[in-house]
Amino acid sequence: MKRLPLAAVLAAFFVFLLMAVSVRQAVLMLVGVGMGAALAGARFGFTTGWRQLIEQKDPQGVAGQALLLALASLAALPLLGQFSELHAALGPPSVSLLVGAFVFGLTMQIADGCGSGTLYKAGLGVPLNMAILPLFALGSFLGSVHLDRWLALGQVAPVSFSAALGTAGALGLTLLLLALTLLGVRAWVGPGRAWLTRRWVIGALALAVLATLNLLLAGQPWGVVYGFGLWAAKASVALGLFDPAANAFWSQPGNAQRVTQTVLMDVTTITNVGILGGALWIAARNRTETRPLTGTQWAIGLLAGFVMGYSSRLAFGCNIGAMLSGISTGSLHGWLWVPLAFAGTLIGVRVRRRYQF
Amino acid sequence: MASTYRMQMVFWAGLLAFMVWDWSASPPVDLRQEPPLIAAGSGQASSGGHCSMAK
Repeated sequence: MKRLPLAAVLAAFFVFLLMAVSVRQAVLMLVGVGMGAALAGARFGFTTGWRQLIEQKDPQGVAGQALLLALASLAALPLLGQFSELHAALGPPSVSLLVGAFVFGLTMQIADGCGSGTLYKAGLGVPLNMAILPLFALGSFLGSVHLDRWLALGQVAPVSFSAALGTAGALGLTLLLLALTLLGVRAWVGPGRAWLTRRWVIGALALAVLATLNLLLAGQPWGVVYGFGLWAAKASVALGLFDPAANAFWSQPGNAQRVTQTVLMDVTTITNVGILGGALWIAARNRTETRPLTGTQWAIGLLAGFVMGYSSRLAFGCNIGAMLSGISTGSLHGWLWVPLAFAGTLIGVRVRRRYQF
Repeated sequence: MASTYRMQMVFWAGLLAFMVWDWSASPPVDLRQEPPLIAAGSGQASSGGHCSMAK
């Protein structure tokens, strides 16, 4: 599709949301378009950055992600301290989180995309990621259905750095932990490496601004996974396969209400759709070449996508909801998510090589 | 290349079909209950779903 007709379609969708849903959802859709354009335009891949660090000792992707986390924290933590309406992304430290983050980190390497990566690559037209998206949604839904049983294995209450240390303390601790992470990366890659390149810096700047806008407008940090699970939940209810009232997660008042109303009123849905549109916008000018996959690679990739969706709910988010939003809003669960997901990635890159992706 | 293009068409048609079905099957949006454009400073706590939520 050319850019002009695509712009017309996005503009028409914006006007529809403006007239029929709400001004906020219309503007959030545009924020999502910006996110998709930034992710796809800068090829800001969380999965790729981790893989390049492990396999090539290339720190550029991880440095770009650390820059994004620092910038987003510098904006989000003071805003959370200033405005009581805004929520942090606080997930409970739990067995569910530890298992989910590990499995998510493993499978995202096989599927070659985390939550945002799957979205923007699907928007770019990468066949495996387009096929994974509905399976990711199904997995995310099933993860939410089983979440109470996973939480019963052990959990503590969410830990907010801001509540414990105040805004300045939370910001200082977050930046200190980021600096320590980069020191660890420096020890792994050794001297003489290029750390920051233009594409990663631009991507980090753009995404930090857009994540902050998301927080200011929606009142909650950027998320991806919840929207996917909601889509599958709605479809399952409509098909008579699922009764939300009989489930611990979906019978909660907020979730039960969202299952009954249009997904266009859901914050994460609207940014997810925007991300797809923004990536399609990029694809209109820069066609993405992909290598054909074998039948085995398809099967492994699709299975990984489904498990990735399931584990993302157990982990209380993906690289966006748990890592970016968790860390930038001062949640301990974000800092537990990263090492577990990275440990999973260490295995994931080997599985990826084994099946010659 | 042609198969990728066909897959893209199926993907976007599927997404569009889901959105149209969802819109037609859901109760009408009550525009009088519209959330504030900017949550920060609005006095209304955010009530959206997020993946970090345990409930």
